[in-house]
Amino acid sequence: MLQKYKIAIVLLLSLAGANAQEKQNKFKESFKASLVVTSDFSYEFNSESLQKSEIIFKPEFSYRLNRKSKFVLKGQLYTELNDNLEAGVPKENTVSNMSKRLFIGDRTNLELREFYFYTSIKNILRLTIGKQQIVWGETDGLKLLDVVNPQNFREFILDDFEDSRIPLWSLKAEFDIKTIGVQFVWIPDNTYHITQDFDAPFFTKSLFQTPPEGVSAVFNKTLKPNRFIADSDIGLKLSTFTKGWDLSLNYFYYYDDLPVFYSQLNISETNSPFIEINPKFERQHLIGGTFNKVIGSSTFRGEVAYIFNQNLSSTNSNASRGIETSNVFKSAIGIDYIKGENIISAQLFSDIITDDISPYNRDKFETNTSLKISREMMNDNLTAEVLWVHNANHGDGYVKPQVSYWINTNTQLFLGSSIFYGNETQLFGQFKDKSRISLGMRWGI
Amino acid sequence: MKTKLIIGLLAIGLLFPAKSNAQSLPSGKSIADKTHARDEGVSMSRTLTMELKDKRGKVRIRETTSLRKYFGEEKRLAIFYLTPKSVMGTAFLTYDYPDPSVDDDQWLYMPALRKTRRISAANRGDYFLGTDLTYEDIKLETRISRDDYNYKTIGKELINGHESYVLEGNPINDKIAKELGYSKVKLWVDAKIWMLRKADSWDIAGNFLKTTEITDIKQVQGIWTYHQIHVKNHKTNHQTYFRISDIDYQTEISDDTFTKEALVNGL
Repeated sequence: MLQKYKIAIVLLLSLAGANAQEKQNKFKESFKASLVVTSDFSYEFNSESLQKSEIIFKPEFSYRLNRKSKFVLKGQLYTELNDNLEAGVPKENTVSNMSKRLFIGDRTNLELREFYFYTSIKNILRLTIGKQQIVWGETDGLKLLDVVNPQNFREFILDDFEDSRIPLWSLKAEFDIKTIGVQFVWIPDNTYHITQDFDAPFFTKSLFQTPPEGVSAVFNKTLKPNRFIADSDIGLKLSTFTKGWDLSLNYFYYYDDLPVFYSQLNISETNSPFIEINPKFERQHLIGGTFNKVIGSSTFRGEVAYIFNQNLSSTNSNASRGIETSNVFKSAIGIDYIKGENIISAQLFSDIITDDISPYNRDKFETNTSLKISREMMNDNLTAEVLWVHNANHGDGYVKPQVSYWINTNTQLFLGSSIFYGNETQLFGQFKDKSRISLGMRWGI
Repeated sequence: MKTKLIIGLLAIGLLFPAKSNAQSLPSGKSIADKTHARDEGVSMSRTLTMELKDKRGKVRIRETTSLRKYFGEEKRLAIFYLTPKSVMGTAFLTYDYPDPSVDDDQWLYMPALRKTRRISAANRGDYFLGTDLTYEDIKLETRISRDDYNYKTIGKELINGHESYVLEGNPINDKIAKELGYSKVKLWVDAKIWMLRKADSWDIAGNFLKTTEITDIKQVQGIWTYHQIHVKNHKTNHQTYFRISDIDYQTEISDDTFTKEALVNGL
């Protein structure tokens, strides 16, 4: 009798063992983890000092529940050794509580970059729920439709968009109606661009009118939307691929990620004039679309965006609180030409203010161009590229050459430079004393 | 009289043996057709590991998951990068149309930009993602082109113990030669399973360019399947090993996998 029990126990234990082993194997198959470490050290020519010395750890975990559902978590530990780009602990007034970074001292912060659940329901509806990045548009370098997620401007537009784009808590639903792909996005996260303080290296002073001499400026607290439902953004994208054309139509109802700087002249109790600035985020509608088509060795692509009631700082003394409103039409056309290991990519951007207003520090019709030339060498071991962005109206811009080299399977080195030029009152020219040379590394396991 | 006739016929046979041997060899066109008629299953998933080795011996490894499905005669292929981790999520999608005069449609998703770029497929002689095979080589996948070459079947040889037809191919015109990047090819096609086992190719200038060897061929779920390709570029001394594993022809792959949106959502 005892022997029978012994046999039964051994069998049960072995079954439990096999079951545990099976579970362990299943977990191993379902769970994936990786770590990417990047470092970037930049030396500023003008100040002859280190402008940036960052090290970023990017762990990523995913757990697949089944073939159609998964959880993804992407974290980030960011350290800037010389605490220059975002000195001290930034207030992050434009960031919602649920998306704020956790600062550990002045130099280091932890951030939940992405954390979402993806599922495909009966191969009909695909849902992505959680903190994520949603990217629209076809252009490189300058953004037209890529406005779903805000951006941290600690390095103006030099940082990789992957790093500067701020992921948001949102819902993305995708389904098809015949040959049309439908994407609906709902974003209740009231987080907007992180712009830099007045004393930061990449403070965009070209956005602000300088008060007349002897007149001070007082910044009041930014009025930021904070209602979960009523202040959420919604967007819709329809896309299709037909007869060789990739087409999309986009609509977005959102708060502009930059506040409107309402300003008015006041007199203080001591009879001194001062400019009182009341920043406030305002709603906008945007409709737009994209296309691309391959002809021979070239890909032609384009993007348009029409923004209703954009608020712009004005030089018109009759403007209400220093602001005038206009619709804005933005367009971009580009061509990517591939020949062997060489790619030439050129883009032409137009930005038209449709109403008769007097915008501050810009023309009603602005044109930017970009040219990128890249070449892969040594079986893609070595890549050399140069990007040139130029504003045709004001003659300012920047040039960004870079070489990257894979030293082994997991490690890539970068050497590059960013050189701004032009009038220092303009968007790019204002950073000409921030031109720099950079050395970086990317390693992953 | 009858004896003389037989002797005469034998003499003719002895005098012109090559001619009679050539007549027994199938034409290049029929061999090419047979490589295309091979069963590949409707869908397939597999792990594709690419090992790139330069002339100094430095090795880089890229691991991918590759998914393929036929939609009628149209073939769609999606490749998702698993390593290196810093480029994980990079994904490549191709629509390969049955009409050879219609260029493929191709997209590349770059996670660093979070954007899917449309890529021209016109340059089929360009090298595929740093390897030693061209986009056209990858697309053919151990079949041989039916339209690009004038073939001559020159004999039979054993490759790794397997009887294979030997073909010489010359591009049908200079334009095609430039597109492919080859002025001549020599191919060894298995006479039993109609799979390419070896290929030599010469560049446009006529220099010996590279050798491709397909090995470890065995049946998976009843379908003849290669498990390794080794390519050596004789000009640069660069080599690529393609290793294929976890092959499954019976896995159900949703049609949605082969869309731009699926590239963004990843595996």
